[in-house]
Amino acid sequence: MTPSRSRARGCLLGLAVGDALGRPAENLTPGQIEARWGRLTEIEPGGGTDDTEYTIFAASLLTRHGGALTPEDVVAAYREQILPYAGGPMKGAGFSERGAVQAMRRGFAPPLTGRWHPHGWSDGLAMRAAPYGIFATGNPAEAARLVAVDGSVSNAGEGVHGGAAVAAAVAVAMTGAPVDEVVAAGIDAVPADSWTGRNLRAVADGGDPAGVIAVHYPWTDLAPEAVALAFHAYLAGGGEVFESVTTAANLGRDADTTAAIAGALAGAGRGEEGVPERWRAEIGPASGKCLPAVAGRHVRDVADELVQAASRERG
Amino acid sequence: MPSGDRADRVRGAFIGLAIGDAAGWPAVRHRSLVMAPWSRRLRRELDVFAEEHQVTTLPVPFALNLPVEPLAVGPSDDAEWLAWTALRLAEARDGAAPGREADDGGSPAPYRMPGIGGERWLAGYRDLAGRDDLRVRISVRNALDNLGRGVEPPASGHDNPHFFDDAAAVRAVAFGAGHTDPVAAARADAVITNAEDGVHGAAAIAAAVALLAGGATVGEAVDAAVAELPEGGVIRHAVLTALDAARAAGGAFAAVPALDAALDDHVYSYGVSAAQTVAVALALTDASRGRLAEAVPAAACLPAFADSAPALTGALTGAATGYAALPEGWRETARPLLGCGLPDLAGADLLAIADRLIGGERSC
Repeated sequence: MTPSRSRARGCLLGLAVGDALGRPAENLTPGQIEARWGRLTEIEPGGGTDDTEYTIFAASLLTRHGGALTPEDVVAAYREQILPYAGGPMKGAGFSERGAVQAMRRGFAPPLTGRWHPHGWSDGLAMRAAPYGIFATGNPAEAARLVAVDGSVSNAGEGVHGGAAVAAAVAVAMTGAPVDEVVAAGIDAVPADSWTGRNLRAVADGGDPAGVIAVHYPWTDLAPEAVALAFHAYLAGGGEVFESVTTAANLGRDADTTAAIAGALAGAGRGEEGVPERWRAEIGPASGKCLPAVAGRHVRDVADELVQAASRERG
Repeated sequence: MPSGDRADRVRGAFIGLAIGDAAGWPAVRHRSLVMAPWSRRLRRELDVFAEEHQVTTLPVPFALNLPVEPLAVGPSDDAEWLAWTALRLAEARDGAAPGREADDGGSPAPYRMPGIGGERWLAGYRDLAGRDDLRVRISVRNALDNLGRGVEPPASGHDNPHFFDDAAAVRAVAFGAGHTDPVAAARADAVITNAEDGVHGAAAIAAAVALLAGGATVGEAVDAAVAELPEGGVIRHAVLTALDAARAAGGAFAAVPALDAALDDHVYSYGVSAAQTVAVALALTDASRGRLAEAVPAAACLPAFADSAPALTGALTGAATGYAALPEGWRETARPLLGCGLPDLAGADLLAIADRLIGGERSC
């Protein structure tokens, strides 16, 4: 199925507004968020973060290589676009990206690059998984296969499962399917006997989102937790962009990533017009503050390019 | 020069682990946990002071007006977990009848522990899950949280942010020393708190300790440990890389910079991955030909790994030479436990616990 331009734009705009809304709430508790904003509903100055910029990076892999993407292509893109800057601060990079870069600097090849560091479970792949769902609209298995190619370079185990869940769910959301079907597609894309699978089923069954939070761990970038919180927010928001994104952002933890994922799912379902106009107005070209190679790229244009690449792929 | 006495080598594994545990810089921070919380709060404030005033004089744990004894050199959390595991193992073995494994297929994959019984072994952890006075590793904390909310092994160790750490590798010393099926038992114990490399690392340590306790050479023990690590896995890659690096360096202390370069990316906030610390322990044991006084100080010179790599290194080298061959100045120091992680063990004698495990050995 060729992706709809409006849904593709809605997906990446939803991701970008979630990233931007959630950014100041990252690592805060719901109580701290309430004390500071009441309810966080307005994007603060400063824009998005790594979620948007790494998503643009992932999209560029698909527009260049399409469904033939290989782990070697991903490594080549890291070497061209990320490693030249790795001598300095990699702003916004998570443990998995930095760890994968160090593994590449050691000369390792995938999948060892994604396993050498202990952050295989990072949500760094889930945060950039949406383009794979757009590219493989209507084909969640293909979306999950493609995102795992990217993931083999930087992640392992639960981090790859988290990416697969998001990519597969976006692939189904891009068809306009109901919220429950979108969530079911995400669950189907991961092994039943996995942390991500258990957490996703818990929130899909209406469980308290607090039950998926690893409270005795100081970092919040665990994919099984972040993806489950994002799916919870998408369900609680009924698939509407505003409700899904604000629900995720106001839960705190890895709020920019959870709100970005919730926004991508909801935006794919509701299309560009479903993203509140005042939020859309806040999204400009990427600054490149995390990934200089994507500076100047606007997610709306990136979405259009993904639609073109998907159309080419289908001949 | 391996000791001729199995009991002496088991004692060597226990006290060697405690010596290594005591030798790393984190030990005194763990030991300060028995002191009043305000003393640690002030130390954190002194860290901030050093940052804000741009002075390089860094604070150390201090007593001010409190008793000073906890801050003396001595073992901390790793020795306590070895003691806890050995006591549970001895109790299970000394019991009237071994616990029965669930074998009726009533649940899809019942938890099993060879020679003891799954539920019987798990009971010790279930007791800990209900406690609020413990200070434990991130892997153990999350595993106990999982058990407390009904997430059973192996998910308790798998759905765990530090599934890869070496908490189970430390406990595996007890299985290597005192279980008739040491590797299978160490793996069964490990899945409660860990998965993947965390479990393989435990198997490697159990295999090496079991062979050394039986009088094998260091080379045979290292080979047996490596044989537990799956082809293509990170922990095998790390161990083989570390062994090569330490051999090329020509000695344990000489290998410190090479091990740092080979194993540590300095990206993450904790240095407890089994792939790293088990690699350090095996490489330094090999490079020192089993001499604790060369290997443990070298492990303690790798700051990121200094919480547990010296302890694992001490266990292997202590098992290689036996207790009698360990440095006299350390042997007594390493025996008394403080209870800084597991308060019930305050005042316990680790050597007596090793002897209890040795005493019951033939009844299993």
